[in-house]
Amino acid sequence: MKKLLNITCTRATLLVSKKEDGKLSLLEKIQLRLHLSICSFCRLFAKQSFLIGNNAKHAHTTACLTNEQKEKIKELIKAS
Amino acid sequence: MPITKKALLFLCMQWQISSIFQKYMDNLSTFNPNEWVNKYADALYAYAVVRVTDTGLAEDIVQDTFLSAWKARDTYQGQASEKNWLYTICKNKIIDYYRKKAKSIVQLTTKEEELYFDEVEHWTNETGPKEWGVDYEQPIEKKEFYAALENCKRKLNDIQQSVFVMKYMEELDANEICKVLNITPSNYWVLIHRAKLHLRKCLEKNWINIH
Repeated sequence: MKKLLNITCTRATLLVSKKEDGKLSLLEKIQLRLHLSICSFCRLFAKQSFLIGNNAKHAHTTACLTNEQKEKIKELIKAS
Repeated sequence: MPITKKALLFLCMQWQISSIFQKYMDNLSTFNPNEWVNKYADALYAYAVVRVTDTGLAEDIVQDTFLSAWKARDTYQGQASEKNWLYTICKNKIIDYYRKKAKSIVQLTTKEEELYFDEVEHWTNETGPKEWGVDYEQPIEKKEFYAALENCKRKLNDIQQSVFVMKYMEELDANEICKVLNITPSNYWVLIHRAKLHLRKCLEKNWINIH
């Protein structure tokens, strides 16, 4: 029983991402919950993993195209 | 009252014709390539560049997006806004790029996890996550975070980058990502896991320490 429920940090951190997706089986849910209750590193990992996933879609940049590049695209459209 | 009926019918047809004509005119006036490029090129470029990292490639994708849109302009029904329509085309170009790139690869042999875990697969005091001192639940608005995330993402290998972008930036469903990259679900989770381990470590080093 103990063997069945005990998981390593490697496994627990993988399950964290799976959990964010709601893809855990019942056994995995129990394994992860038990592991997180005793492992502060993995608890912290879970929070940071959520932060990364939650903010990635807001990634932005101020990079833009030069006027020359834009003129080139306009020419290409006209030529097509 | 046959005359009234006829008149009504006539009015009705007139109205229909004029609305069709109006729609046609709208389409004509919106499909102006110069205006398109001026209005949307920069936004599409910024969207592409954070997803494919390479600037030249992002430029090509924007170019292709406009060319495809121009060719397909007759099929544009006006249900989506012009902007969303262009974004959808651009998004599909990006996914196509990932699909092509994934053709040759995907063999997960090395044990990258060993970088972080000891022989019994537990964190060590050195590699274990440190408290970041931020509210993990709240959206982050600092641009330093996004710059660090971008740099850290570049350090991932190609397939990890593809998976990460599709999952967390394009928010595609896991099955779809597996199909595009031609990988199994278990490989998918391994890739997500590795990408997260690397990104977390890299952000801790390059963002938390300076903010």
